[in-house]
Amino acid sequence: MTASAMTSTQPGEFRAAGTDLSERRRSGVSTGPLIDIAAAPDMIGMHWGADGSVRLGAFTTIAAIAADARLAAAYPGIAASAQGLATPQVRHLATLGGNLAQRSRCWYFRNPHIACLRKGGPDCPARSGNHLYHVAFDLGPCVAPHPSTMAAALLAYDAKVMTDQRSSLTIGELLGDGRNGGSDNALLPDEMIKSVELPSPLQAERALYKRAISRTHAEWPLVEACARAVVKDGTFQFVRLAAGGIAPVPLRLAAAEAALQGKDANAANIASAAEQATAGAKPLPMTGYKLDLLKGVVRDLLEEIAE
Amino acid sequence: MSTMTINGKLAPLPDDPDALLVDVVRDALDLTGTKLVCGAGVCGACTVLVDGEPAVSCLMPARSAADQNVTTVEGIGAEKLHPVQKAFMAHDALQCGFCTPGFIVEAAAFHDSWRAAKGTAVPSREEIGAALSGHLCRCGAYDGIFRAVADACAGRFDGEEFVPPRMEARDKVTGSAKYTVDIHHDGQLEGMILRSPFAHARIGELDLTAARAMPGVSAAISLLGDDRVVRYVGQPIAAVAAKDRKSALAAIAAIKLVSERLPSVIGLDEARRADAPVVFEKSTRKKAGNVSEGAGSPASWKGNIRGPSAAFSKKPKKVRSWIDSARSANSPLLVEGTFRTGTQQHACLEPHAAVARFEGDRLTVHVSTQAVFHLMELIAKRYKLDHDKVRVIADHVGGGFGSKAALGVETTTAIELAREAKAPVRVAYDRHEELSVTGYRPAAEMKIALLPSDQGELKALSFTAYADTGAATNSTIAALARLIYPAEGKELADFDVISNLPAGAPFRGPGGPPMAFALEQAIDEAAVRMNIDAIALRKRWDPDPNRQRLYDWASSLEVWRDRKPISAQSGRYRRGVGVATGYWLYLWQPGSKVEVAVKGGRLIASTATQDIGTGTRTVIANTLAREFGLEPHEVEVRIGDSKLPEGPGSGGSRVTASVIPPMLLAIEQLKAAIQQNAKRQPVPGSNAPWREMLAASPDLAASGVRPEDSRQMAPGIQSPLKQAGFMGWIFGWMMRRFSNLAIGAGVPSSVQVVEVEIDTWLGHVSVVNVHTGIAVGKIVAPALARSQATGAVIQGIGYALYEAREVDSRTGDVLSGGMEDYRIPGIADTPMIDVHFDQRGFDHVLGGSVGIGEVATVPTSPAVANAIHHATGVRLTELPIRPDRLVAALKGRVAA
Repeated sequence: MTASAMTSTQPGEFRAAGTDLSERRRSGVSTGPLIDIAAAPDMIGMHWGADGSVRLGAFTTIAAIAADARLAAAYPGIAASAQGLATPQVRHLATLGGNLAQRSRCWYFRNPHIACLRKGGPDCPARSGNHLYHVAFDLGPCVAPHPSTMAAALLAYDAKVMTDQRSSLTIGELLGDGRNGGSDNALLPDEMIKSVELPSPLQAERALYKRAISRTHAEWPLVEACARAVVKDGTFQFVRLAAGGIAPVPLRLAAAEAALQGKDANAANIASAAEQATAGAKPLPMTGYKLDLLKGVVRDLLEEIAE
Repeated sequence: MSTMTINGKLAPLPDDPDALLVDVVRDALDLTGTKLVCGAGVCGACTVLVDGEPAVSCLMPARSAADQNVTTVEGIGAEKLHPVQKAFMAHDALQCGFCTPGFIVEAAAFHDSWRAAKGTAVPSREEIGAALSGHLCRCGAYDGIFRAVADACAGRFDGEEFVPPRMEARDKVTGSAKYTVDIHHDGQLEGMILRSPFAHARIGELDLTAARAMPGVSAAISLLGDDRVVRYVGQPIAAVAAKDRKSALAAIAAIKLVSERLPSVIGLDEARRADAPVVFEKSTRKKAGNVSEGAGSPASWKGNIRGPSAAFSKKPKKVRSWIDSARSANSPLLVEGTFRTGTQQHACLEPHAAVARFEGDRLTVHVSTQAVFHLMELIAKRYKLDHDKVRVIADHVGGGFGSKAALGVETTTAIELAREAKAPVRVAYDRHEELSVTGYRPAAEMKIALLPSDQGELKALSFTAYADTGAATNSTIAALARLIYPAEGKELADFDVISNLPAGAPFRGPGGPPMAFALEQAIDEAAVRMNIDAIALRKRWDPDPNRQRLYDWASSLEVWRDRKPISAQSGRYRRGVGVATGYWLYLWQPGSKVEVAVKGGRLIASTATQDIGTGTRTVIANTLAREFGLEPHEVEVRIGDSKLPEGPGSGGSRVTASVIPPMLLAIEQLKAAIQQNAKRQPVPGSNAPWREMLAASPDLAASGVRPEDSRQMAPGIQSPLKQAGFMGWIFGWMMRRFSNLAIGAGVPSSVQVVEVEIDTWLGHVSVVNVHTGIAVGKIVAPALARSQATGAVIQGIGYALYEAREVDSRTGDVLSGGMEDYRIPGIADTPMIDVHFDQRGFDHVLGGSVGIGEVATVPTSPAVANAIHHATGVRLTELPIRPDRLVAALKGRVAA
């Protein structure tokens, strides 16, 4: 077709495994120079600290994260998230850094013939158009949910991101607050993610990850969440909830966390806290269902964690 | 220049940073077993092993393969077949075969690591489902795939001895089967189409000179019709042929055009408004497509609404008055409802594709088609060529489902570009084209009212259907409700609602699944109101002898006998069991010919039909072999070539019933000829008399033409059209006269009992168990018929739960143009499926067999919906039953 809405020109787009970029290049959504990342040794693999913390190189594949037994024991929410995203053949190639820096999966953004905010266009066609799979927390001009499953899990773990130019970025600092419709993250045009640091897990914490989808596997989540909790003597000593698929950036569900802090780990308390998961939500006309699913996912996670 | 090692050999990698591994493998190295389907890492057809791990080659930059070891499907069974390949063949874990190489590569890697770690332990369905979650099969071969992977892991295919039930299975599991997209002639060019970005526009000047002058470009042609109007986003405007995809893209971008936007209207609701812009003016109505298998009847046409087509009504005025009275009397028996279905894309994994080549005045076209012979006739007519100058070839076809039965733009464009370029041209649609402009089962809005009499008989049915046909007409949904459940009166009206969307097309039982979704839920609801068992009510209201037997089978199923009262459950997870009925017409193609010959002692059957994954090759081979007391692999089947004797199209479930009768006649003649020519009669008492006679026979041939069926029929067996009286007779006559399709006596039927589990928190429906009872006469190829039956259920589950085309209702852009957004079932969504074949009912057909393809998918979606109602007490009236709709319905509100 003739009319093309291209992404704004950059000095060059970094390419790790290319599982996101290849599709955009072939369709014509993304053009311009490519910079293949030559991974430095510190960008590969897992580096454990004496305190039980770990630094994950940005070039570590999702499959490696999903399969590592020590990581799964210490950070089960991270491992389960890696196991749940995409497909086995994608996970074998895709990297952690690429997962965080991947671009929107919105069907308007991915169509090379349609202009949108993410491609430098004047407005968001999904907001006034078909946004069946879009946000239920309307935080900014672009209504596409952030696609990174790993980002939601890392948010739950207070992970810090190292780039070649900055250190210790929170997930919030990396991806922004959802108010910038023009970009998928807050990285500088020539800034590259090098690694991710996970602080050591809490004593006796449990963690889980779940997603709501229409089929059984291999689908972009309608709603996904990672939960961490410490349950001691039958009460919640610590609760951490982070959700994806519902907002332009992964969100902490602070109201639901607060509702359980210090409370008995029973079904009634969990059910009423799950109702708080949607505090602050602003669904679009077609996304109200995501609030029901979010409550369901949170309730499901917490019940299993409290078992 | 960097290199990779592929299947043990060193191969160079291109310098182009945008080159993808799949393109190097397929185009540069001609390893075409690896398929490009979704281009987005969703379907797995392109899977190769990179240093032993499965990787998605459509998203992998070629340069990342530098110094790596790459194994394609050709490398998996290069020396001897891998156990997984043998298991896929033995369990018939494939149909069209286009996804098969990707499954084989992944399953082989899974098998090898499983065996290394766990010996011959059997992996669970969950483990297999998770391992193969990155692969999609549109035919729905998952039931066989589960069994194949489990048995291979258990070590049951480590040996050599087995006979595959499908003739071409070996070619499909090794990647050597060539599909149209795999054809590569010397000097072949890549054709590409410029499509309209507008839903409605008049194209003024179209300037192709700059495009034609681009480097590597050999042809540029206009594809505009005489009115130069485009009526949907994606309608073809022009096309180019160039040396490669990149040059073609550049040439497309260089085409200049001037367009005048016209007012447009998108979808069922907007197009019905009185002030809606009109899509087809009276003079252009012939440009509209056709969504049915047969030619359409005349109907009135007002604005964008064509209809009502109501010829199959019976006492419609009385029906209206009975229903009005029942409504005013608040009759508890009157069932009324509005049902909606989604737009279902065929989503063939092999896209629509054609490769055209002229040699002098002879034209050869490889086409991914359901009708090699008919396509040859259409091409000859369109381009004024003699039949013997046109040859259409389709050795293997990667899915069709109704969308590849006509002469498509991919074919005409390839021909016209090849003619101008004086070189072979391939046109192969990309995934967005495949999921937007190649047709679909139209969405429908159906209003139904069903009134039982006080005596418990079916008194009246009113059924009105509006179909969202886009730039097409001839939807037949309500009319199909005439041929089942006789009533005192039926008011049936079909409307096409035309709008600026791509044209719909016939899709596996056109009109059948939406009709059943509405009618079978209404019947279910009537059973609830009448407090009668839902199968018993069908048995009372539906006298068809084939279905009477299926009802007896269904009501004896344990899952049905043991079911709990409706909505007796209140927890998070709820289980329910539902039933539904479906039927389809038994169609056959007059004039179908089969030649059988003995040549050099070997039996050969030839007919210009094709195998789109349905098993036609095997049906022919099994019949021929059986008649001569041989094994199927001892005979040869020649199909997929229009040069062969005229054969049927693979649509309307017609092939089996069109080819077996003439083949049996030909076999009778051939046997007589062999005996006449025999110098020596077989030894008395020989257990293989024909084997000896064939070996000694001179070359002989005989051919048969499809005879009329016997008029001697079992009690109660009649043409379904009898129910529609004189109008039915007219309809049958028109189908034969204008569509070359005969409607035979006896009704192919299916009754399905489905068990679901609902997760009320996450709005998730799991189909747990399906029992599908099917009456299509004698089963010629049992393993393949089972594959058809289970695949039909899986496709029906997709229709019920996942699949819907999504569009932008302002611009008409199709948004679900990728496989991540158009959601077909995956392997882990497959229930346990029990297939029951009732083989009676078609003795009046020579051979006793009719087709299975369509009938087997008709009842699935209403059976699922009825099971959900049984589990929850809530009736889901809109397809697909996605989480958004289910959570809304459970809360008693309307989904977005």
